[in-house]
Amino acid sequence: MLEVKSLVAGYAGSEVLHGIDLVVEDGEGVVVLGPNGHGKTTLLRAITGLLPPRSGAVFLEGREITRWRADVIAAAGIVHIPQGDLLFPEMTVLENLLMGAYHRPTWSERNRRLERVYDLFPWLKDRGSQLARTLSGGERRMLALGRGLMAKAKVMLIDEPSLGLAPLTTQQIYASIRQVKEAGMAILLADENANHVAGLADRVYLLETGVLVREGPADQLLKDKALLESYLG
Amino acid sequence: MTQTVQAVWGGVLFGSVYGLMALGLTLVWGAVRLLNLAHGALFVVGAYAAYWVTSSLHLPILVALPIGVLAAAGFAYAMHMAFIRPVLGKPGFDNSTLIATVGISIAVSAAALLIFNPQYKVVPPVLTGNFILAGVQITNQGLLVIGASLALFAAVYAYLTYTRHGMAIRAVSQQQEAASLMSIPVERTYGLVIAISGGLAGVAGVLLSPFFFLSPNSGFNPMIQALIVTIFGGLGSIRGALVAGFVLGIFESFVEVFYGVAWAQPGVFLLIIVMLIVRPNGLFGIGEVRRL
Amino acid sequence: MSADVLSANAPRRPALDQEAAPWRRVSVYTVAGLLLAGLLAPWVLTRLTIGGYLLTLLILFFMQAVVAQSWNLIMGYGGIYSFAQVALFAVGGWTSGVLVHSLGWNPFFAILFSPIVAVLAALGIGLPTLRLRGVYVVLLTLAFHELARVFTVTGPRFISGGGYGLVSVGTFQFGDAVGDQRTIYLYYVAAVIFAIATFVIWRVIHSPLGVAVTALRDSETYAVSRGINQFRIRLVLFAISAFFTGLAGGYMTHYNGGISTTVFDFPRIIDLLAMIVIGGWGTFGGPILGAGIVIGLDQYLVAIGDYRALFLGLILAVIAVFAPQGLWPLIRSTYDKYLAPEPSAPPAVH
Repeated sequence: MLEVKSLVAGYAGSEVLHGIDLVVEDGEGVVVLGPNGHGKTTLLRAITGLLPPRSGAVFLEGREITRWRADVIAAAGIVHIPQGDLLFPEMTVLENLLMGAYHRPTWSERNRRLERVYDLFPWLKDRGSQLARTLSGGERRMLALGRGLMAKAKVMLIDEPSLGLAPLTTQQIYASIRQVKEAGMAILLADENANHVAGLADRVYLLETGVLVREGPADQLLKDKALLESYLG
Repeated sequence: MTQTVQAVWGGVLFGSVYGLMALGLTLVWGAVRLLNLAHGALFVVGAYAAYWVTSSLHLPILVALPIGVLAAAGFAYAMHMAFIRPVLGKPGFDNSTLIATVGISIAVSAAALLIFNPQYKVVPPVLTGNFILAGVQITNQGLLVIGASLALFAAVYAYLTYTRHGMAIRAVSQQQEAASLMSIPVERTYGLVIAISGGLAGVAGVLLSPFFFLSPNSGFNPMIQALIVTIFGGLGSIRGALVAGFVLGIFESFVEVFYGVAWAQPGVFLLIIVMLIVRPNGLFGIGEVRRL
Repeated sequence: MSADVLSANAPRRPALDQEAAPWRRVSVYTVAGLLLAGLLAPWVLTRLTIGGYLLTLLILFFMQAVVAQSWNLIMGYGGIYSFAQVALFAVGGWTSGVLVHSLGWNPFFAILFSPIVAVLAALGIGLPTLRLRGVYVVLLTLAFHELARVFTVTGPRFISGGGYGLVSVGTFQFGDAVGDQRTIYLYYVAAVIFAIATFVIWRVIHSPLGVAVTALRDSETYAVSRGINQFRIRLVLFAISAFFTGLAGGYMTHYNGGISTTVFDFPRIIDLLAMIVIGGWGTFGGPILGAGIVIGLDQYLVAIGDYRALFLGLILAVIAVFAPQGLWPLIRSTYDKYLAPEPSAPPAVH
């Protein structure tokens, strides 16, 4: 489904990713674990076109999408739920959700997806006309997820869904992601915390200072507390 | 009584004009963060295109109007492709676009001078005739301008709020990266906004030229006025452009009628300065203005 | 603890690297050569039949370069989008003109007041304006330009001269000198003004003030957080810029024997802008180079009349977008390659 080969990326004057190889198969839940500042966000941004890679390649269903524009990559079916949510602050909850479906599905398809999102987060339906910038942290995260689900996605990239959230909301979020994954969606999740990903990860990569240092089946890696501690602290 | 009616009529008319000119400018600022100093040039492009259609092609003004609007919109889009798109996202964007739009303004003025000549041109009004109301002459074209201005404000508002592309414009201006993640083509959207603002300037150009004579430098004053109104109403605010247009228009009109023409301009400037001191963001401004 | 022990443990301050000082980076020979050329130019040029004319071109070049440099100082370096430059030039010119015309002062004395009044005007504009963000500065300075223009056209007679400006103002007198000889004297006065202005601006750019300005321009938030007082710095720059611009205005009034309201016309602003942009926005030598290019080209462009404005406008737009650094960096790199002194070896590290 999604394949990354020898990806090198960085920002002006510094290289953050030094050659990443990773794969996400159809319906797979892949988690990239790593401490802050080691390149998780850079990786996701490089894949989805927000940051042009310096070298390497990205493939979606066998097609190379490496230097494509972000909006074209999004239209091809990669949904990116970014760190910080990046909601449209002056738009309402409903408008944000509708923007997720920008690429113009049919009305019935769009409403179907809306219903699916409302199933996951019922409160979104009641507060449709509330401005996004007036939402709380947890609500924003849920809206961001909901917005992402409105698109016709082949694979979803999620960046640190639990960042800045209270424990209860965190559980809710991961539960929702798990539901999405179980419905068949391929997921690439970047996280700092190994605790909540157990239910949805099939494979895990460990990212350290821009390099993938370990890879393995989730049930193995996630159980190895000592390993995780040495990498994640 | 006549004086008051005169002042009100003048005010509402000026106000509509100012608002219309400011609408395009504020739209572009809000969406692209671009200060388009070529806005006056777009006004001129629309006006001269309409003039050409009526005087050389001998077609009626009703045909010339949409052609003028399209010419201005097309020119604006071309300007975007040639001079704005290349620097989008680059650190020197503000500098480059400021100078580039000034340069385009001059070039258009010069081109108008070369293609047509410096003599004042007459652009026929869409509506002729007038009537007297309480001793004041009310022109039909004036009524059209007021109506068109209000209609365009409503149309732009509806477009931005309810249509897919309009929402895309709003999305891009609020959170550009997220917009591209929604598969919205950002650069093309910028081009769309710029083209729309060009069209709006074109409408102003065609509808207003009958009141004054058209010359290559006709765009300069409307643009300064648009700039003033935009800042007064708040950069990026459509509501602001509408309200500010009328506030300034009516204010200027009353000053002119009751104190004389000489005081009109200084009076408006004074009002601007007061506003900038008291409320630098303008009436409905969004975004911060740093004060040290 | 004795004082000796304390001082021995104190971190050693690195000695000031004299070799890195900015004035070392320009070869003494280059500067001396330019000064010599400037001094000898009249002597050489008067040998030619068009020598007198060329001298007047040089005078024009000097004054335009001063104004262009001053404008570049605040716009290119300071990031202050002021369009009041021409108005300040006019303030300087009118000040001196009125003093001579209405009060009968000697031009050489009156001209001393041009920069002073210009600076006062600049402070007047700057105090309310420079606190605000870029786009507001554009508007307010344009407003000042417009107000100044209106004032000179419709103001009291001794200023407006009936709407045309000041005419038949006393010019510089150098004893009985006339014709080419007088032009030579005028040339030297202009050259001195140019030299002083260029030197001062060069020093400002390479001083801590200049460094602070560039810091502000490149990264405002950070600079402010480091304690750089944005407003005060901008005000100082604005004043310096106004000083020389006003001086140039005063000179031109007594060079031309008057100053007309056409000085406010938009083409003047465009020409100056073109000089800065073509030469090199935000560079030291750019405005000087640009002034030379525009004035030089003008001799040919005058022939094409109205196409000049079209040409100029397009050039402005194209350079601003595709070559925002202007032509100066080209010159600079050539100079660095062939003429600059060799950088000395870095000091040994202990």
